[in-house]
Amino acid sequence: MNIAMRRLLGLLLLAGSWALGAGAAQAHPHVWITATSELIYAPDGSITGVRHAWTFDDMFSTYALQGLETKTKGVYSREELAPLAQTNVESLKEFAFFTFAKADGKKEKFQEPVDYFLEYKDAALTLHFTLPLKAPVKPKELALEVFDPSYFIDFQLDDKTPIKLVGAPASCQLKIQRPNDGTATAQKLSEQNFLSGDNSNYGAMFANKITVDCP
Amino acid sequence: MRLTSGFARALAIGVAAALVVLALDSVISAVMAQNPFGGPRPGAEPQIGGIVGWLLSKQSEFYREMSSTIRAAKSDGSAVWTLLVISFAYGIFHAAGPGHGKAVISSYLVANQETARRGIVLSFASALMQSLAAVLIVGICALLLNATAKTMCGAERLIEIVSYALIAAFGARLVWTKGGGFVRALQAPQPLPALALAAAAPHDHAGHGHDHHHHEHSHSHGHVAHRGHEHGHDDHEHDHAHDHVHDEHCGHSHGPAPIELAGPGGWRRGFGAIFAVGVRPCSGAILVLVFALAQGMFWAGITATFVMGLGTAITVATIAVIAVSAKDLARRLSAGSEGGGALIMRGVEFGAAGLVLLFGVGLLFGYIAAERVTCL
Repeated sequence: MNIAMRRLLGLLLLAGSWALGAGAAQAHPHVWITATSELIYAPDGSITGVRHAWTFDDMFSTYALQGLETKTKGVYSREELAPLAQTNVESLKEFAFFTFAKADGKKEKFQEPVDYFLEYKDAALTLHFTLPLKAPVKPKELALEVFDPSYFIDFQLDDKTPIKLVGAPASCQLKIQRPNDGTATAQKLSEQNFLSGDNSNYGAMFANKITVDCP
Repeated sequence: MRLTSGFARALAIGVAAALVVLALDSVISAVMAQNPFGGPRPGAEPQIGGIVGWLLSKQSEFYREMSSTIRAAKSDGSAVWTLLVISFAYGIFHAAGPGHGKAVISSYLVANQETARRGIVLSFASALMQSLAAVLIVGICALLLNATAKTMCGAERLIEIVSYALIAAFGARLVWTKGGGFVRALQAPQPLPALALAAAAPHDHAGHGHDHHHHEHSHSHGHVAHRGHEHGHDDHEHDHAHDHVHDEHCGHSHGPAPIELAGPGGWRRGFGAIFAVGVRPCSGAILVLVFALAQGMFWAGITATFVMGLGTAITVATIAVIAVSAKDLARRLSAGSEGGGALIMRGVEFGAAGLVLLFGVGLLFGYIAAERVTCL
């Protein structure tokens, strides 16, 4: 086998692997969510859960409302939207609600969502739901990430109120890393990790990371 | 005889497939380590974004502009032109990014000795099919039945499974036929091959002749005579002498003539490929169509979908042509080397066939994540 041919075969395999890697990391968003999240504290200073308000982009909002009958055209009451909210939270379960929490480095689990409802305002749907922690935690450091690992959904924390601490001890400090403000090193999206074909954590590069330190 | 040869062949193909995957894996990591995209690695500091990041940001931009443009088009007719330009650009960028469709089509073209011209036709046909699938789904579900998003996503999921199963079945068939060619090429230089593999040869031959109509075309007499032998004789030496000559010919062939391409089997097989890939619509197109429908601009959504498909086709066709040309070049180069050339080409084809099967199985069982259907 001469050198030129070996090189060519390499190229051929590279092309194949690019295709394969590309197939593996199918990734660009089709849905955009603007998120506001609240961390809920019990009187004793422990965290009991997370409350989300996710506003969908107008294209997805329209899609979600397709085929929904209402009394007044273009007006959707909370009751009329209840079945859709039910579908939403049921579907989100498959994706662990795109909410990943770590208390002092240990992964925390959430219970089934409660108090969920949809709201329609300014041609956009907002999904409200609360995720109670399996057991309340009182960590020194809580890390919360909201993102879609496969990056089908793009999560942006709201500009004005990205995160609220509800009833947190006064000493707690909040830090936010957004994917686009240059603080997250994870956003360095190189061909190398794109081609690795590992789709499992691709979206982590676009994650919103929230840390709360309570010394 | 039939049972044992079938088993032996399955075993041989399985082992060969494992070897190809292993070899592929090591070659990829070796090549990637020094030379991604064939160019020198830029600097020590990796560029934020890079080509892929740029593609991602571009297509996100175009996609996000679509909803506002459709809204604008309601009152301002000229916004429709903007919509078409955006859709076209989105189609090009969308396909240049990740996607299993072009991977399957390129692998199929490499596996099946297709021409660049046919690659272009197949790329456009599959993109057209995809656009049509999206329009039909939304047209039937949303416009005619006024189904909810939940129902529509159920339909999408079903179609998705069908598409992946078809790709897997298509890949399995390619592996089966290409495996035969590869096994024969492996045996060709050896005067006394293993008995198990030899027993498989006559069956391979029948399958091979059936699948490669252009070979059949030029060799039809030999094949017919050969098939006649298959039942009565165990004359292995005869088989191999024949196979050897046959493979030599493949190595030196100048590609099928246009008239042979138009053969009924060839196009039918090509249609199998585009149907398997194209039946599953792009989630983006579905969203755009439903949005357009809600705005009372369904026709604008349909036009945008087909223009998007046109953009996609251009990119897929480009990639397909690169894949086919690379293989042509490989064939010309390997034709110079004695004996091993045919083996390498059969190996490449077999590997490409294996990729199609891997895509199908991987997608079907979720090892390869494809674009998600919009079910929330």
